[in-house]
Amino acid sequence: MKYLKLKSIVFGLLIFNSCAKSDQFEANYEPIPLQVEKPSNFPDIEYTIENNPVTDAGFELGKKLFYEGKLSANNAIACAFCHEQAFAFTHHGHTLSHGVNDGIGFRNAQPMQNLAYQREFMWDGASTHLDLQPIIPISSELEMGETLSNIVAKLAAMPQYQKDFKRAFNGQGVTSENMLKALSQFMVMMVSANSKYDKFVRNEDNVVLTQIEQDGLNSFTTNCASCHATDLFTDQTYRNTGLPVNPQLNDKGRYNLGQNPADLYKFKVPSLRNVEKSYPYMHDGRFTTLEAVLDFYDSNIQGNSGTVDNALLRADGSYGINLTTYQKESIIAFLKTLTDYEFLEDERFAEF
Amino acid sequence: MKQLKYTLVLLLCAIISSCSSDNDATTENLTGQKGSIALKFDNGVGDQNFAFNTTYQKSNNESFQLTTDLKYIISNVRFKDQNGNEFAVPEGNNMFIIDQDDANNAGEIFLNLDNINAANYTEITFGIGVDQDKYTQGATGQGNFLTLAQDKGMFWSWASGYKFVRLDGIYTDATTTNGALAVHMGSVGTSLDNYKEVTLTLPNTVLVRTNKSPEIHIKADILKIFDGETSVNFADGYNQVHTDATETPIIAVNMQNMFTVHHVHND
Ligand code: HEC
Ligand code: HEC
Repeated sequence: MKYLKLKSIVFGLLIFNSCAKSDQFEANYEPIPLQVEKPSNFPDIEYTIENNPVTDAGFELGKKLFYEGKLSANNAIACAFCHEQAFAFTHHGHTLSHGVNDGIGFRNAQPMQNLAYQREFMWDGASTHLDLQPIIPISSELEMGETLSNIVAKLAAMPQYQKDFKRAFNGQGVTSENMLKALSQFMVMMVSANSKYDKFVRNEDNVVLTQIEQDGLNSFTTNCASCHATDLFTDQTYRNTGLPVNPQLNDKGRYNLGQNPADLYKFKVPSLRNVEKSYPYMHDGRFTTLEAVLDFYDSNIQGNSGTVDNALLRADGSYGINLTTYQKESIIAFLKTLTDYEFLEDERFAEF
Repeated sequence: MKQLKYTLVLLLCAIISSCSSDNDATTENLTGQKGSIALKFDNGVGDQNFAFNTTYQKSNNESFQLTTDLKYIISNVRFKDQNGNEFAVPEGNNMFIIDQDDANNAGEIFLNLDNINAANYTEITFGIGVDQDKYTQGATGQGNFLTLAQDKGMFWSWASGYKFVRLDGIYTDATTTNGALAVHMGSVGTSLDNYKEVTLTLPNTVLVRTNKSPEIHIKADILKIFDGETSVNFADGYNQVHTDATETPIIAVNMQNMFTVHHVHND
């Protein structure tokens, strides 16, 4: 009898102890703040970090969600399906991305990098906040075909996610707000600023450009930097570059937003960081090589029924940027100095 | 003499009671008291009640019926009391979707607002849609409203933005019979702000107390969306209103003027 009592006390203590331990673990968890990198050659951050401060737990949750198929209707298409790290988070091998049920989208997946520094998102700027951008691929029938409420239900049914959300959001559960904030915490950390070019302009590690790279940079500054401006290589405006319209898609670009005729066939000036890896090029992925892009600027701007950007107007009234063979070669050599292997191989962003 | 006595007593009574009721209004201590207010939204078309699949006439010999959706977003609800003090419904619970599908058999859609400071309110203000401040905060402060909005089809799938109003049905004009009618107006990113606020004077004072839950009956005249400040015609493209920079602000202003407070119940 006495023995039994003792045994049950010991047992009770054990239970008590183990409970206390796991609770303690959660209660004692102090989120570790993470800093979004601010390279000295970059403009200011646009994302309001104060509204969604990045922590290790929030970032890890965001990464898990980014690689989570459950965000789609068939539980198979994760964000990473179309945004692969090795290709600057683009959909490798696809001109137009495809998603659930093999639906083909209308556009070429954009690279994901330096998103904290962008004001607007998508080729036409249809999204004005990084937190809300993911709702578009999630709800698109051609991409993930899912609803926020289904995702919240699916995740809330998984005990591990409940724990992850509590850790990341101060004891709060799975909500669409927290899910989107976690994704943003992951995305704002994706800063690409350690290419050869960056080290060169910041005078780091004694990096110098070769002659052809330097010549390319000079030609680029004269001919391209009015649109591909700052060290983000985009002025974040929308421009009509005179790409002939693909009649099958008839993608009117920014015009779709407000039906303003002045916006016809305007697309966002893309950043050229990691451009060597993010092929194919343009909003519909029509060019597979940088050579084709430069030939286009030099001699293939045919125009469209919108108004082609003035920056591309030659003195004789035709459109294009005159480039010699050497200028093209050197510009391409320069563009390759924008490849940031540290970013493309950064394990913090990798699935495994 | 006896009569005089009675009169005096009566007079005294009257004075006392009037005094005490005066006291009530000026010195009743309401600090810390919370109550609730129910807003009762009641959609109509001109002088008729609204019903789905019913044809309504508008100007220019055009007609319409809504078949599936009549919804709009209400936010930033606040009240002004008799002394001019404003009380805003607490953040985090101040965005709502008025959805005809949620109406009771009398066609009324109730919106219950709790945690309202006790006061004597004379004015109500609310927004139609989501303001830019809130919108530019992204997911912050949205809680599960994004989920609700998406479930109710009030969030675009191709752009990240709310539809402030959603009317879906069919219309008939001189050249088209039963064409598709869709008015999905909202702000377009940060470049086009269609958020509008409405301020309505309450016909009698709304008394909020811990033990009093008054009701404000708000009528919305859906016809005004087409025949309001500006009359618009389906024949001119208003059968499909989405993000157009000229059409949507006209619809937004028309909606701003479609609400009236019909009456108030103080229970
Ligand atoms: C089916 C393929 C696909 C999936 C899945 C997908 N995306 Fe995309 N993503 C794209 C395409 C295509 C674009 C360009 C879209 C456009 O401009 O219309 C894009 C653009 C973006 C952008 C804008 C980048 C910029 O520079 O403006 C972000 C951010 C983004 N996606 C994040 C995500 C997230 C987060 C998820 C998961 C919730 C996701 N994507 C899922 C194909 C996809
Ligand atoms: C008038 C502004 C403007 C000028 C000048 C300009 N670009 Fe572009 N560039 C754009 C826009 C806009 C796009 C996207 C067009 C589209 O997809 O419809 C683009 C796309 C590109 C792309 C494809 C990137 C990708 O991710 O798909 C490359 C590469 C490029 N430009 C390089 C250059 C070079 C090199 C020069 C100078 C010779 C140059 N651009 C001059 C506006 C400009």
